[in-house]
Amino acid sequence: MENILELKQVSKTFPKSDFKLDDVTFSLPYGAILGFVGENGAGKTTTIGCIMNTIIKNSGTVKLFGKEMLDTDTTMREKIGVVYDSDNFPVYWTVKQLSNVMEGLYVQWDNFLFQKYLEQFHLPAKQKIKHFSRGMAVKLAIAAALAHHPQLLILDEATNGLDPIVRDEIQDIFLEFVQEENHSILLSSHITGDLEKIADYITFIHNGKVMMTVSKDDLLYNYAVLRCRESQFPALDREDILAYRKRDFQTDVLVSDGKAAQRKYKDVVADHVSIDEIMLLLIKGERV
Amino acid sequence: MKGLLKNNFYAALSNMKAFSIIMLLLGVFVVVINHKIPTLVVAGYMLLGMIGFSLISIASLRKESTAKWSKYKLTTPVKRSAIVKSHFLSLLLWLFIGMVFAGIGTVLSIILHGYPFSKITDVFMLFVAGVVISLLMGTIFFPLFYLDGEKRNEVYIILSLICAIKISTFIDVLFPGSMNTMQIVLFGIIILVCVLFAFVLSCLLTVVIYRKKEY
Repeated sequence: MENILELKQVSKTFPKSDFKLDDVTFSLPYGAILGFVGENGAGKTTTIGCIMNTIIKNSGTVKLFGKEMLDTDTTMREKIGVVYDSDNFPVYWTVKQLSNVMEGLYVQWDNFLFQKYLEQFHLPAKQKIKHFSRGMAVKLAIAAALAHHPQLLILDEATNGLDPIVRDEIQDIFLEFVQEENHSILLSSHITGDLEKIADYITFIHNGKVMMTVSKDDLLYNYAVLRCRESQFPALDREDILAYRKRDFQTDVLVSDGKAAQRKYKDVVADHVSIDEIMLLLIKGERV
Repeated sequence: MKGLLKNNFYAALSNMKAFSIIMLLLGVFVVVINHKIPTLVVAGYMLLGMIGFSLISIASLRKESTAKWSKYKLTTPVKRSAIVKSHFLSLLLWLFIGMVFAGIGTVLSIILHGYPFSKITDVFMLFVAGVVISLLMGTIFFPLFYLDGEKRNEVYIILSLICAIKISTFIDVLFPGSMNTMQIVLFGIIILVCVLFAFVLSCLLTVVIYRKKEY
């Protein structure tokens, strides 16, 4: 499968901080949505910074459309649309001014398409951005990101803090966008419910390290949490355990093949697992 | 580049509108009223126009760094060097607007009240002084802004203005008193060329600094 985005052992340290991005490796195939999940400060924004060269990585490779993107690769950036969590654009701009600036930046800027999105999102064209609500500002940023016909959309916590109706509306747009087989989305978020609905793959990041990348189908149909009593936990094979978390009288154990685990450990209850629960087990739990 | 220039234009627009109105009102004051010390009034108007527009142009850089736009811009199909060049170019364009204001005010004042200066080259040298201060201000400010000053923008604006005025005063001291018209004009042109050279060097230095900048 060909990848639109490929990160290999990307590392980044900061002189005034203990935080580091440590050998981050994952890839996003063409035609897919990858949810990039992690708690606040896990390294999602830093990783996106390394992808877009707004942060200069120390080592590793980031390949976009099969090659490393340099500052001079402006044609490659034509094919990428980016949306940050808030304040993407100066608040003193009007929507019209935004369109004028973008028209001067992107060769492929499609004003007709931009107007179409403005209508679809009910965004007033003459108003200044400072009068927009957070939901309106994110929708405007999405409209701007889509209006230059990108192949890759990168969204950094863009949907966080939006109401469910706006989020649903935006999810529909994303699903429509990936209908084209050469279109992909990297969607960083710590709201996992959205990702469960639309993502094809999930990459978990914690403390600057990628914990795992898994397809959503694999996660929903194969991954499971074993609810073990104190006496049952020691009997589990170490190699079956991805992560575990002790509670009062129970230990939750994350396994990658729930059905096999259920067959192997007949007395143990195996539950389906949500992205939220995996995140908690990977972050707060222990690894074998 | 077109998009970047538009971006810089919008960043400066509201302050420029206000300053243009002030310059128009001051222009009326300079042109219509017959002053006791016209030299000072006209010279002040000329310098204010050129330096004022330039100052507002560089100060507007702060406005966009309050949003994530500084980071967003790097994800658009423009090179980092183009972003830096656009700021230098915008300063030149706003300086030109300042020169137009200064020029119109001076010409109208001369038409209505006569030539206020003692030498024919004084107007030219005032333009040279305005351009030199404005360009030196940008020459000093832009590298400092990208090196350290996004949060200390105001400090660096004041610092660059003071340094630019100090350097201009120093150049004025070098100016020998007994020069003929041709020599004065030549001296002015040499200063302009030197300052333009420094301006270009500063642009290259700012590009180097900005290439390492992270958002």
